[in-house]
Amino acid sequence: MPRSDGYTSFVNSGVGKKVASALGLPQPVPLRRYAPGRPLVDGPVLVGGHADTPAVSALRDGLTAAGATLVDAVPDGPRLGGVVVDLTAAETPADLESLRATLAPALKRLGRCARVVVVGRDPERAGSVAQRAARRALEGITRSVGKELRAGATANLVLVADGHEASALGTVLFLLSARSAYVDGQVVRVGEREVHAAPVDAERPLAGKVAVVTGAARGIGADIARTLHRDGATVVCVDVPAAGASLAAVANEVGGTALQLDVTALDAGTRILEHATTRHGGLDVVVHNAGITRDKLLANTDAERWDSVLRVNLLSILQMNEALLAKSGLRDGGRVVLVSSIAGIAGNRGQSNYAASKAGVIGLVDGYAADRGLVRRGITVNAVAPGFIETEMTARIPLATREVGRRLNSLAQGGLPVDVAEAIAFYAADAQGAVSGNVIRVCGQSLLGA
Amino acid sequence: MAVETLSSVPATAPLLARAALTARGRRGSEVPERTLRVEDVRVDRARLAAYQRLTGYDVSDLLPQPYPWVLAFPVQTALMARPDFPVPLPGMVHLENRVTTHRALDAAQPLTLEVTAGALQPHRRGRTLDVRLEARVDDELVWECDSVYLSRGRGTEDASRGEAPPALPEGPVAGVWRLPEGLGREYAGVSGDVNPIHLHPLAARAMGFPRHIAHGMWTYARTLAALGRGSLGPSSSRVWFTKPVFLPSTVELVVQRSGRHVLAGLRSRKDPSTTHVVVTLDD
Amino acid sequence: MPTTRRAAVLGGNRIPFARQFGPYAEASNQDMLTAALEGLVARHGLAGERVGEVVAGAVIKHSRDFNLTREAVLGSSLAADTPAYDIQQACGTGLEATILVANKIALGQAESAIAGGVDSASDAPIVVPERLRRKLLRLNRAKTPAERAKAAAALRPTDLGIQVPAATEPRTGMSMGEHMAITAARWGVTREAQDELALASHQKLAAAYERGFFDDLLTPYLGQTRDQNLRPDTTLEKLGSLRTAFGTGPDATMTAGNSTPLSDGASTVLLGSEEWAAAHGLKPLAFFVDGETAAVDYLGGEEGLLMAPAYAVPRMLARQGLSLQDFDLYEIHEAFAATVLSTMAAWEDEEFCRERLGLDAPLGGIDRAKLNVTGSSLAAGHPFAATGGRIVATLAKLLHEKGSGARGLISICAAGGQGVVAILEAA
Repeated sequence: MPRSDGYTSFVNSGVGKKVASALGLPQPVPLRRYAPGRPLVDGPVLVGGHADTPAVSALRDGLTAAGATLVDAVPDGPRLGGVVVDLTAAETPADLESLRATLAPALKRLGRCARVVVVGRDPERAGSVAQRAARRALEGITRSVGKELRAGATANLVLVADGHEASALGTVLFLLSARSAYVDGQVVRVGEREVHAAPVDAERPLAGKVAVVTGAARGIGADIARTLHRDGATVVCVDVPAAGASLAAVANEVGGTALQLDVTALDAGTRILEHATTRHGGLDVVVHNAGITRDKLLANTDAERWDSVLRVNLLSILQMNEALLAKSGLRDGGRVVLVSSIAGIAGNRGQSNYAASKAGVIGLVDGYAADRGLVRRGITVNAVAPGFIETEMTARIPLATREVGRRLNSLAQGGLPVDVAEAIAFYAADAQGAVSGNVIRVCGQSLLGA
Repeated sequence: MAVETLSSVPATAPLLARAALTARGRRGSEVPERTLRVEDVRVDRARLAAYQRLTGYDVSDLLPQPYPWVLAFPVQTALMARPDFPVPLPGMVHLENRVTTHRALDAAQPLTLEVTAGALQPHRRGRTLDVRLEARVDDELVWECDSVYLSRGRGTEDASRGEAPPALPEGPVAGVWRLPEGLGREYAGVSGDVNPIHLHPLAARAMGFPRHIAHGMWTYARTLAALGRGSLGPSSSRVWFTKPVFLPSTVELVVQRSGRHVLAGLRSRKDPSTTHVVVTLDD
Repeated sequence: MPTTRRAAVLGGNRIPFARQFGPYAEASNQDMLTAALEGLVARHGLAGERVGEVVAGAVIKHSRDFNLTREAVLGSSLAADTPAYDIQQACGTGLEATILVANKIALGQAESAIAGGVDSASDAPIVVPERLRRKLLRLNRAKTPAERAKAAAALRPTDLGIQVPAATEPRTGMSMGEHMAITAARWGVTREAQDELALASHQKLAAAYERGFFDDLLTPYLGQTRDQNLRPDTTLEKLGSLRTAFGTGPDATMTAGNSTPLSDGASTVLLGSEEWAAAHGLKPLAFFVDGETAAVDYLGGEEGLLMAPAYAVPRMLARQGLSLQDFDLYEIHEAFAATVLSTMAAWEDEEFCRERLGLDAPLGGIDRAKLNVTGSSLAAGHPFAATGGRIVATLAKLLHEKGSGARGLISICAAGGQGVVAILEAA
């Protein structure tokens, strides 16, 4: 049964549709979400733009292999499942016309929950001012398209590195697929690393991997454990001892192991590593998901509230990573995924401590991703920044604010914990070896902090 | 849609009494658009344990899949006892139920419950009413349930029949349960559903039944419990209450598993061609 | 003869112990044992796995629970084709189950096994008086209406009444506490010494919780996250102010504070061969070295009801060529503070060791700093059959912390004048 909030089910009921349309209320549609065995996209994928660049030729085969039917023009028959526009060869703003020329007719023929993926290059690597302007322009276009799209469709931008275009295949596939249901208006940078396209089972991209998820007993953490398990990983579920009963249920459900510990304990990292190594032979993926909120206006925030949030949400990660990222820690090609928040980007009233910790997490991503030692070992570090996700963390928001928060995004609805989990699983896969230092917002293109 | 938040879960018995007293005056075909909501519903561990024991679950921290329905029952009754509710509550028959659990429900977590009634639909034997229940932990939808009830009355011959339940497998029998005469009273005690048709033969006769019958929600829960731990985690189940189980009686459980899909049901021991309950579970 | 190999203790899990009629009042033995198994399965990644066998038991058991352990296995996430059976040796059940499965593993009859125990003092089966029971059975047997009428007529209102099983010795009619009071007087165990031991038990258990020692030995149940009986802030004054519960006159030294309370709870221990452990990524915490049981004739008052471990330990030491001082840790079950103190007094007593144990010299004293270092039953509570599993898992982890070669002694007294003891060695 599809899961949606009360409002979404209401406007999709017969009466609700009429009411919502008469009142001009937003009309969210149930988003297409991933389940093993479903096709990559519902409908053909139009490939346009410059179309004959190394990027496109590198991607074409991969898209076809993933089951997409590629077309070069808007077909008369079925609606499009997706559009991939290649602008990697843009030299000046004048070249942007080919983007318009491809998208304009295509946008009228998009199916429900269709995908627009623009492929460009990093402005910071531009050879000229004009080129840089053209490259930067893609972001503006993509974000605007995201806001124009209806019926659950999304638009995202992928920046590929010269000579490493094929490394972006996994990212493009993710953004086309139902796994990215609530990812909208985002820019993903793919770096200069060769990804060895080892043949993997597309439905179990994490087969053979050992993953640790902190805060796994409840909420988003439980969904992360479940999603990583679905994708083939062996999952170590970590949570505080007091949550042990729920933790055991999650661990047994995903056939993983439960590890009861407090992430702020000095030896938390060592114990996680030791558990993963002795039980499962090593550690490949770390998802630092454990987090708490202690909301109060800053004027009323005492040292305890301040300290506990920073300790759990930020300092514990630094502390654990001492052990986890040491030479004897994460295996080569490992993945570290952090959980930031839209509050860490846009700030939030009454959440200065939480926002501090979540903005700090972005700092961690920047810092670790630039670490040469980690780069050499092929370890990537990324974060997701959930927007309005229907979960515990959003509960303390007053109802009216909550309803606004839920609607103030391009998809006019809140996301689900599994949407966050999907983005984390995306980072975790081998195919994303060149994706590091990114913070993908899973926010349905929220207006906050945009 | 108007959402009305009640300060706490109401007491069921006075509501049932009110619904019974006002049953005659109820008419019309418009179900008011209204959602009743109760926040911070806490699980009484002793009642939960009594329910778990009576339905065959282990006494544990995890809520059985049908349990939020029991928690929401007084709220649902409150909705139907409202003066503007068009259908009389007494004599209403539970036809089917669909539940999805999105995550294992820990008894320690307070729930927010919402009850919404849908439109009346024509049925061969009267009209059906859809009722939707949702349970949230804070803001996250963790459990949802759609129930279909029949309000018996003048039917519509050509009414669409809805999705028929799958046929039960032939066997072999996976269990034989002897349901005692007092089962309805016992279950009423733990669930709060004191509908007279479950309590005593005389009370049931007054409502037009030859004898008193087992609560459908008990047969549902008991069947899910017999299928193992699957329904304790994220999963979906569906139940069709096809024929009432008169008390006392003996029923047979039949089960057919295909991968993660289970088809199960209860049939009469005396007459195996009589199917009482059909349950499917996907986990 | 099959060659033997080492059986390893790989880990454990229990639910917090609760007081009688506390948070587990509504839970049955099967519920609690299932919960303890679920936590063990989660901790060790055994979901869907077939384990060699699961052996557990309960001291107070309802007749419907004839297959208690197997039913708990079926309700757990272990593979349904995991065999299981029940054993019962009073408070020695959990340790006896460990000895049993360790021996099977040592003999190559099993690769892995779970030992455990559970008891509920709250959900005790209620028994009708014997006379009524016999009459009811007769009524049930009656075939003809005449026979039935006759059997029914024999029922008397005075037959009614219920009996709750109590911790009473069937042959003496005395409670365990009353028996213990006699032994305590015999060994001159003072009230102060008992209260000090009880205080130490609470303080050491509280400290162990504080340092997270139980994080990987325990899974919360029904909202309970720590042993309910634990009083971290108790004092000698508080313990000293309690009224005595057993014994008379100057011999009345035993109180509710220095005796274990009736408790509810369950514990499990995972054991396996080294090969099985390696294949499952599990590191042995300790190896099972030896086990011994003894019984004493307490009926004639010759020996105290709970003194059997005093006999079992020297027999096992002799077999192993060890002295009582050759251990790094001692776990002596605190049925009563006086049990521990009497047992230790006996080992130090030259006459007892010579006359009763047939030794040339006393076994000697043990270093109290090595005794029950994370507390024991006085603080944790004592759900009879669950105590063995609690101690085995606790000691195995403690030995593992000490490092390879460290040796630990377990001593558990049991009803019927029995004792079960064992030696573990750090892996």
